Amino acid sequence: MAVVTLIASAVTWGGMVYLLSGRLKCYLWLLLPGVPFSLVVNAGIKTSLAILVGQIANILPHQGLRTPGWFVLFLFMLSPVLEEGMKVVPLLLPRAWRLLIKPAAALWVGIMLGVGFGLGEAAYIAYSVAQLPEYSRLPWYAFTGYAGERWITFFMHGVMTAVFVIGLQRTKLAALAGYFGATGLHALVNAGPMLARVGIIPTWATSVCVVGAFTLTAYIFERLRHQAARGAGISEAAGEILYFERRTK
Amino acid sequence: MGSTGTLLTFKPRPSHGRICLVAISFLTLPLTIVPAIQSAEQIPLLMLVVIVGLGVAIIISGLALALWFPTMRYELDDQTLTLHYGPVLSYRIVLSTIRRIRRRNLSLSIWSSIRFPGIALFTVPCSNVGNLIMCATAAANGVLLIETDHATYGLTPTDEEEFIAAIKARLKR
Repeated sequence: MAVVTLIASAVTWGGMVYLLSGRLKCYLWLLLPGVPFSLVVNAGIKTSLAILVGQIANILPHQGLRTPGWFVLFLFMLSPVLEEGMKVVPLLLPRAWRLLIKPAAALWVGIMLGVGFGLGEAAYIAYSVAQLPEYSRLPWYAFTGYAGERWITFFMHGVMTAVFVIGLQRTKLAALAGYFGATGLHALVNAGPMLARVGIIPTWATSVCVVGAFTLTAYIFERLRHQAARGAGISEAAGEILYFERRTK
Repeated sequence: MGSTGTLLTFKPRPSHGRICLVAISFLTLPLTIVPAIQSAEQIPLLMLVVIVGLGVAIIISGLALALWFPTMRYELDDQTLTLHYGPVLSYRIVLSTIRRIRRRNLSLSIWSSIRFPGIALFTVPCSNVGNLIMCATAAANGVLLIETDHATYGLTPTDEEEFIAAIKARLKR
């Protein structure tokens, strides 16, 4: 199921970027560099940092609502802060950075980097779940929920990264605003699962939160897309053929 | 194109819209209904009913639209142009109300209702053009827009030149 999810999602969201960018293939390779960075953050940095801080503060795991508030907030912000920073690391590649010369490119570069990061994250989650005895015995079709949730998450990762990359393309202040915007959006998306994890809302409510977050990111994506088209001077009327026009008296 | 008396029938451009509708219908099953049923014990009954109900509605609607795909056609008589799609869609355009006919590419939007690769039906929001009433086998590329006093329609006749010539001939009468 993980393999099917990764391939189907890469084709879907990569295909969307290809179609909406004007059938440009130059962005498609950006799916790849984000994958290892996702594994570095998820398998290495996040877990190690959470354990280290927990040990220093002498906080026991699995305390639910009894966990100190600051530590909950720290854990909550760990993913947004680290992941949004890591997602744009591939821009250090000259070939990636050169793509940002075009005004409308930041949106598509950001989407592809974010989706690529999501692919790595999905692979890591699939591997982690497969190690658990209670899940490893289940057949592959029992994980359709994973497929649906990941498919949506790839798009949301893409939009968050696009917010940051668009800022990076402009000024330093815009880059900082972009980073905070992406981090804030990421935190909002993660709010539902975190509230369920500490027991404030029931587990089933996280699906409702995810749908709401997806709707919000879709709205943001449409706004960014129209801004990018206007900034690039792309006229939708280009290539229009007028066949008939009634003369008004 | 076919003709019966003064009635001309134009078929739409071929597309893979039917495959798209079937694919979306079948994808609804593993993405919504199956996870909901697997989690049935953990979610409220009302939510389960809503999710499964919506999923079933999407599947039935998608398969029905796929079934009616070959029935899409544009019928032109001396006074009106009628866009047909199965029993669910029949848009009547009075020729005397037509203000402009143009062909252009449309921008894709993820908010669009029934608008997928190869098929676009019902009212679809489109930036810079406004709401379009669609009965077409293309979501964005090479769509013929017929603007009337009341609305703008989007269609994709396969013999576009003959279609335009036939309309113009009737408008001149």
